Amino acid sequence: MSSASASPRGVRKFFHYEWRLAALKNGFQDATAYRIEFLLEVLGAALIPAAIQWVLWYALFKIGGQTTVGGLTYEQMLAYTFTSILFTQVRGGDHDFELMEMVRSGGLSNYLLRPASVVEFVYIRGLAPKLFLAGLSLLIGVLVSFFVDSISAGRMVAAVFLAVLGNIIHYQIGAVIATLSFYWEEAYAVLMVKNMVVQILSGELIPLNLFPASMEWIWKSTPFYLYVYGPTQYALGRWSHVEFMNAVGVAMIWILGLSILTHWSWRLSIKRYLSLGG
Amino acid sequence: MIPVLKKYSNVFAVQFKNNFVREAVYRSNFLTMLCVDLVWIGVEFSLFTVIYANTNSLAGWSKEQVFFFLGVFFASDALFTTFFQKNFWNFSDLINKGELDILLTKPISPVFLALTRWMSLTSIFNLFLGIGITIRYSHAAGFAGGIRWAMLPFWLLVGLATALMLRFAFSVWVFWTDRSWALSRLYYQFFHFATKPDAIFPVMIRYTIMTALPFAFIGSVPTRALLYGLHFQEYLLVVVVLLVFFFANSFVWRRGLARYQSASS
Repeated sequence: MSSASASPRGVRKFFHYEWRLAALKNGFQDATAYRIEFLLEVLGAALIPAAIQWVLWYALFKIGGQTTVGGLTYEQMLAYTFTSILFTQVRGGDHDFELMEMVRSGGLSNYLLRPASVVEFVYIRGLAPKLFLAGLSLLIGVLVSFFVDSISAGRMVAAVFLAVLGNIIHYQIGAVIATLSFYWEEAYAVLMVKNMVVQILSGELIPLNLFPASMEWIWKSTPFYLYVYGPTQYALGRWSHVEFMNAVGVAMIWILGLSILTHWSWRLSIKRYLSLGG
Repeated sequence: MIPVLKKYSNVFAVQFKNNFVREAVYRSNFLTMLCVDLVWIGVEFSLFTVIYANTNSLAGWSKEQVFFFLGVFFASDALFTTFFQKNFWNFSDLINKGELDILLTKPISPVFLALTRWMSLTSIFNLFLGIGITIRYSHAAGFAGGIRWAMLPFWLLVGLATALMLRFAFSVWVFWTDRSWALSRLYYQFFHFATKPDAIFPVMIRYTIMTALPFAFIGSVPTRALLYGLHFQEYLLVVVVLLVFFFANSFVWRRGLARYQSASS
């Protein structure tokens, strides 16, 4: 190994992470170029779903006079709602739609010439604002842990880690679905369907333990509960360390399986790609 | 007055025909969008099914009444999606890409042209689906039926007018903000308030969604009107709020036009 390749620059080149860092920086700059838009989007995405959840609990407990629902009290429901906001911010973005649009519009051609995986490039660009939000969520969670006994800083860090794994899974599923646009021109509808299903099965709208026992298999058979429900349960101390490690293991298996599926589906589908014009 | 209405009707008919031809070319789009809408309806039904698995009543509303509300809401929303929604996604292009120029040169209201240019005619299926759901749960929800069915089209049009006014109010600021993406997203975040019966909301939110952000007029208030009838003050409120939105939107649009600088020239 020459002295040049052993230097930090050489290490960077060896692991090819220079372009990844550049993509991350570019993605963050792009997402925050219009700061007010970015802020509005974050606030809107955080506060409105929380308000809707709170309203449901208000109707059930305060108007309806229930003392527990699904084994949870009003205060426990609110704790779930406000903690889940943090993880809802980290869960997948819309960058799988960007992949689909590239295939549909022919924009993919520009990326095929580059010495980087287009699927990874788009993910890293889209991940940048999510990582920023993950950091922010972590900071808020850790600050809250100083005042709320049921949340510990250590659990919060681990919960955000699980949410980031969920983000990877979400994108991988989207990347596989996006390959449908090689065949049908549009994968928009299927991606939308995926997002709608995720909304309810991730625990973003309601805690998944409200599902009746006969319907539990529905959310347990998808990885979506790892996005919001799992991290929230662990952060609130409702999951043991064993359950958490089990969830991380499940997430890793999904990531591995989906990595293979993403690689295979893109390699197969890209043969159908036809780019016309200059 | 009649020649003006005739002129606008003719233009609308031409726009309708153009959109029909365009959608006939992309037939697979019909199936995919149908799939999206069915899943959306499924998600809303699942949410309430799960909630009602844990309780018998939600703020005094039975499960069947909520499903009746969902039917009215889907039908009302389908009207907006079919005839207007697509135009708002292209709204910022009108200003940023200078596409408004061509509309301003026509001897007809540019707002009318801007709002009727694109249609999603395949979404009309949801109207029938929504009405089907309404009929399916009408008896169990305690709907009197008979002559009251005649009021359903009227309330669906009230829902359509409300969605149109609200979406416009969220989009028209593009004259000042350049991009309308975040405001559109914000609209759809607030839109979640329309997907729940207004009775479940605390007083403050309920007051807001019946005045400043009248999302309750899309499905909730029409459902209450059909099931129980409204107080006189509530009928008056619907009229006043929609009129205020109409005049405020017109005012902001005119101010925006005065600020507009063609991007294409």
